[in-house]
Amino acid sequence: MPKVSVEDLKPGMKLAKPLSRGNMVLLGEGTVLNETWIARIGDMGIEAIFVEGPSEQPVPKEEAIRQLDERFRNVLSQPYMNRIKKMVKEHIEGLYV
Amino acid sequence: MSDKIDIRTLRGNVESINALPTVPSTLRRISVMMEKPSIGLDELGRLISNDPALTVRILKMINSAAYGFPGRISSVSHATMLLGLSVIKGLLIGVSVFELMEKTMIGLWEHSLGCTVVTRMIAQKKGLKEPEEVSVCGLLHDIGKAVLMLQYAEAYDKAMQKAEKDGINIHEAEIDYFMVNHAEVGHWLVQKWHFPMNLVETIRYHHHPNLSKQSPMETAIVHVADVLVRAKGVGYPGDLVVPAVHPAAWEMLNLSDNDIGDILRNLEDAASFARETI
Ligand SMILES: [Fe+2]
Ligand SMILES: [Fe+2]
Repeated sequence: MPKVSVEDLKPGMKLAKPLSRGNMVLLGEGTVLNETWIARIGDMGIEAIFVEGPSEQPVPKEEAIRQLDERFRNVLSQPYMNRIKKMVKEHIEGLYV
Repeated sequence: MSDKIDIRTLRGNVESINALPTVPSTLRRISVMMEKPSIGLDELGRLISNDPALTVRILKMINSAAYGFPGRISSVSHATMLLGLSVIKGLLIGVSVFELMEKTMIGLWEHSLGCTVVTRMIAQKKGLKEPEEVSVCGLLHDIGKAVLMLQYAEAYDKAMQKAEKDGINIHEAEIDYFMVNHAEVGHWLVQKWHFPMNLVETIRYHHHPNLSKQSPMETAIVHVADVLVRAKGVGYPGDLVVPAVHPAAWEMLNLSDNDIGDILRNLEDAASFARETI
């Protein structure tokens, strides 16, 4: 679950953790954000919140695939290595949707 | 190469790791204790309980996804009862050796934790009786690297540079500097610490699983886990290229596409756990 700063919040994003002040829960987990909520969150001086969805990846997809190619460069002709690479590639691509 | 270290000296130095000034006192105490042929679970439990930092690290490990008891074990005595002597011994060595690595080679800790998770998952999928014991093999499989790096920092650095430059694996590059690889070095250590045979074998043969006579299944699991963790690019094992999987080991495990997908997804969490434990 990514932590998104207030400026980058968009309507439709879902809270991955309840938003609370002290021991009062302001918005429950799973709340879908709208323009009003986003504005209030900003007004309260909160800087960033956790929203649902895949975490941000450390490198762009093309770079991740390039690194994968690099790692496998010696072994593609070896038994089973193509299958392993293909599965890792599919997994990596799934992280970017 | 003329500056090769002869094997007898190397083994002597590795086995007297306790004497190294750079070895932290916790690890020294643990190592000395494990040299005794018989050591009780209660003695180990006391050692852990008397060291708050160690207690936190051990409980964090056990409660992590790697050990599959998330958030359920809150005391050392509960942990020792549940996991048994050899797992607790392995965890103790693991957390204290790799604590050192966090400063010099953080990627090795990530690699090792990744292998812990994957060995455990495969062991479970294959219905092994003690998946926790197998995952300790995953945690400690590259312990030889940590010790070589501790004792021969400069030569080990050169070996890593050679591996990167030539596009080979670190266990191949090590031969040029030490005549043996980290698998051999690691097995000297765990033997000295009286670990059970399956751990000694998996460590010794994790790059040549076909040579394992006593524990071919466990060794195949650690071997395949190492390949998968490298394939995914979790951590830094000392080189940049994935080695070929040993076909017989791969066939023995016969993992389905679903199994592999499952493993890769769990590895995402392991990587973030490794970063959190630092
Ligand atoms: Fe290794
Ligand atoms: Fe490894």
